[in-house]
Amino acid sequence: MAEKNEKPRTIHTVLRVPFEMALGPTWTRFFEGLREKKILGTKCKECGRILVPARPFCPRCFEPMEEWVEVAQEGTIITWSYVNYTYFGVTADMIPIVPTRIKLDGVDGGWGGRIGGFDIKDFDLVNKKVKVGARVKAVWSGERHGHLRDIEYWEIIE
Amino acid sequence: MQKVGIVEVAMTPGTESSLSLMEFTYKPVKEVLDKAGLRRDQVGTYVLASTDIMHSGMSCANAFDWDAAGAFMKPASREEGDGITAFIYGCMRIMSGRHDTALVVGLIKGSENAENDTITSCFADPFYSRPLGIQETTAAAMQMRLYLERYGITEEQCAKVVVKNLGNALFNPYAHIKKRVSVEDVLKSERICDPLKAMECAPKSDGVCAMLLASEEKARKLTNNPVWLKGWGSSMDTFYLGDRDLLDTQLKTAAVGAYKMAGISDPRKEIDVAEICEPYAFQELLWCEELGFCAQGQGGKLIDSGVTQIAGDLPVNPSGGVLATNPYVSRGLYRVAEAALQIRGEAGQHQLDKKVNTALACAGYGFAGQWHGVAILGN
Amino acid sequence: MGRAVAVIGTGQTRHGRRDDVSYPDLIKEAVKAAFEDAGITSQDIDAVVYGSMPSMMEGVAYNHFYFADALRVVGKPLLRTETCGSTGQSIAHTGIYWIASGMADIILVVGSEKQHEGDAQATMTTIPEAFMHADFVGGAPVAFSMQSREWMGHFNIDEDKAREAAAIISVDCHDGGLKNPYAHIRVNITKEDAMKARIITYPVRLLDVCPSSDGACAVIFASEDKAKKICKKPAWVKGTGFRGEEYFSGDSSKAVWQSAIEASKEAYKQAGITDPLKELDVAEVYNPFTYQQLMFLECLGFCPPGESPDYVVKGVFSPGGKLFCNPSGGVLCTNPIGAAGLIRLAEAAMQVTGKAGAIQVEGAKLALSHAMGGALQFNGITILGSEL
Repeated sequence: MAEKNEKPRTIHTVLRVPFEMALGPTWTRFFEGLREKKILGTKCKECGRILVPARPFCPRCFEPMEEWVEVAQEGTIITWSYVNYTYFGVTADMIPIVPTRIKLDGVDGGWGGRIGGFDIKDFDLVNKKVKVGARVKAVWSGERHGHLRDIEYWEIIE
Repeated sequence: MQKVGIVEVAMTPGTESSLSLMEFTYKPVKEVLDKAGLRRDQVGTYVLASTDIMHSGMSCANAFDWDAAGAFMKPASREEGDGITAFIYGCMRIMSGRHDTALVVGLIKGSENAENDTITSCFADPFYSRPLGIQETTAAAMQMRLYLERYGITEEQCAKVVVKNLGNALFNPYAHIKKRVSVEDVLKSERICDPLKAMECAPKSDGVCAMLLASEEKARKLTNNPVWLKGWGSSMDTFYLGDRDLLDTQLKTAAVGAYKMAGISDPRKEIDVAEICEPYAFQELLWCEELGFCAQGQGGKLIDSGVTQIAGDLPVNPSGGVLATNPYVSRGLYRVAEAALQIRGEAGQHQLDKKVNTALACAGYGFAGQWHGVAILGN
Repeated sequence: MGRAVAVIGTGQTRHGRRDDVSYPDLIKEAVKAAFEDAGITSQDIDAVVYGSMPSMMEGVAYNHFYFADALRVVGKPLLRTETCGSTGQSIAHTGIYWIASGMADIILVVGSEKQHEGDAQATMTTIPEAFMHADFVGGAPVAFSMQSREWMGHFNIDEDKAREAAAIISVDCHDGGLKNPYAHIRVNITKEDAMKARIITYPVRLLDVCPSSDGACAVIFASEDKAKKICKKPAWVKGTGFRGEEYFSGDSSKAVWQSAIEASKEAYKQAGITDPLKELDVAEVYNPFTYQQLMFLECLGFCPPGESPDYVVKGVFSPGGKLFCNPSGGVLCTNPIGAAGLIRLAEAAMQVTGKAGAIQVEGAKLALSHAMGGALQFNGITILGSEL
């Protein structure tokens, strides 16, 4: 047992564990779509819902979702936030970030993205422009790699 | 106590799959539901088994796994640990009288995870065991050394386990490693962690196993061929290897509990087949002793006698066991599934050439087998 | 449910920054306290259930191996249950089912976290996969801020009114934390402080957010027979419920949170509760963020959807109100994640057995405990009562 007047020590350790995750056929096709500036969803033959990102099966009906649909690149904001703090992996130069969830036109459910296209460092300006229900459209990155960030940001359209 | 029956099982092959973890998990779950003629929402409860450190880089594994397990808006839970724990928790949920069906699923894509030894070194405490390089293979090597020296077990006898199990795996369509090997091949394979040779260590496999359980009444409605849970026991050992006698394990305690519940007094005679968890070849011999299939120190003689061969009196791992297929998290559930298929006479090419009434399935994990669970199944 | 199950003892550590002890010693502190409270020893228990957050939190995977001695589980069966933030409720449910099944009579359930040994928000960002959620930054605060704004948008809730209600919850909880001997955060704050605090992830401000805590909680459950023999005043399990939604959080509305609604309905049905606001005496609602508590007040059926800010402003859920929520100070003051859901249950047990000391709600007979987790996915409920 430690002496009362002596603060017990801690030790510093770092664990590194690599992983390699398969996208599988459904998501491989979805990301190829992004490379071609297309947002792809799948439609459930039972409940008729269209989900993005594309899904191999409907989580509710549990039937394969085999019908592919290219969905709209415009929609309305369901919700948003303003990230203004740092932690391991998120450094001061990366913030602020304005994450949002968008209901794309014709799609059931929400799509995650970031708001951009103006000075988001100004919180009051963000709070004025970004509203639940506001319309947005996708702005594509000049160079695309079949990655989610191929959509550089979502722009508010008046 | 409510009786619980296994209604249906489905599993994936252990080879690397190009499907995403979500697609890979969905397939056997859907297969089990289709075989039983149930819709996802008609199942009473779901229990998943997955493990964050072996989950393709995602923590809180149940978050991602929920959809493919079919658990959307159903009473459900997740075991972080061997798939056999999801099996017994599913049984308990039915025994409570609250649900009449439970779907359990154990899942892992080993091909997406780091090496087994990298992963298991994360089980070590950061102060003492980790700096010493303790992981499951180094712990097993020390256990093997003790086993060889204390009881005069030979390396040939250990190698015979590999020959037997990989030989059995040739007839199992779900097996990962399929090759005929000789004792000499095993002994000549690289001494990766002396006295352990490379071929004596289990591979790293993909594998999802799904199983539908039901109450007695419901099971009889859903299948003509239910397999019943007759006994269960499990036990945990202390952590530090230095605090244990590595040859006197908690598998003994687990087995005693399971035999008591199942009313088994002579396991060697009463059990028709055993599917046991042997990530390291010598462990099959040691575990056979702990399970009471032979006397202490007689594991070597047991394999020499041929009793545990697929045509023997008490076949052990007719599926090829974990040495052939090692989906780390679901391997315990695979043991239960294989044992159930043997009782039903549906094991296919590795079906035993005798009537199987009582089967044992067991799982273990942790350094030198820190935790063990034993299930007894019957017709 | 088969056999009746009761809580016969609870134990908690002093929560906070606990680098004065190793992680196993922290666990031992809660386990020892639970045995003392129940008046039994480790020899009396049949099995142990353990749970925590993912291995990344403290850098030890399958840490139940490491904790075997501290959990007093050597030579006994152990199940490890884990469902993210709802772990604390899920491990209790495992213990309850285990006893109800007839496979055990007395079970020790332990949940723990030592958040200062790792980086909680970095861990949270590994809950989603890396390729589809590349935009998921900000960990839990962002997920919950997004949810609270979705809720405000959905019900057209006035932002200032929600802000005021959240501040009232913050003040009530911090007052509770000051009186709770186990609580981590112990500060005296005003409504003004809460409303003006620094923005973390808008609309969430500093005093709307839980801390990162080290702590453990242990609860001993027993079958009816054993509980009646061992314990003068057991807390009976009246109902449990658990539900989870889809992995992709866009697939379901998070403003009308169906997993919370259905989990509580399942528990109410078992407990025979039809009007929770009237029938419950106290509730320990999982509130890592004040806005989530507002939403839960609606989802758990304490008030109509979209109206929780009005009810909060009226004082319905404050001390002396119709249904005092989180007398312990809640998760807002104490958040060792793997333990937090079980702490809710322990506090509920203490309330219905009159053991809650300075935070006792007088005459409490029926209490609800709750936890949530995942990517806005999971909700678990346990209702405890003083009568069988």
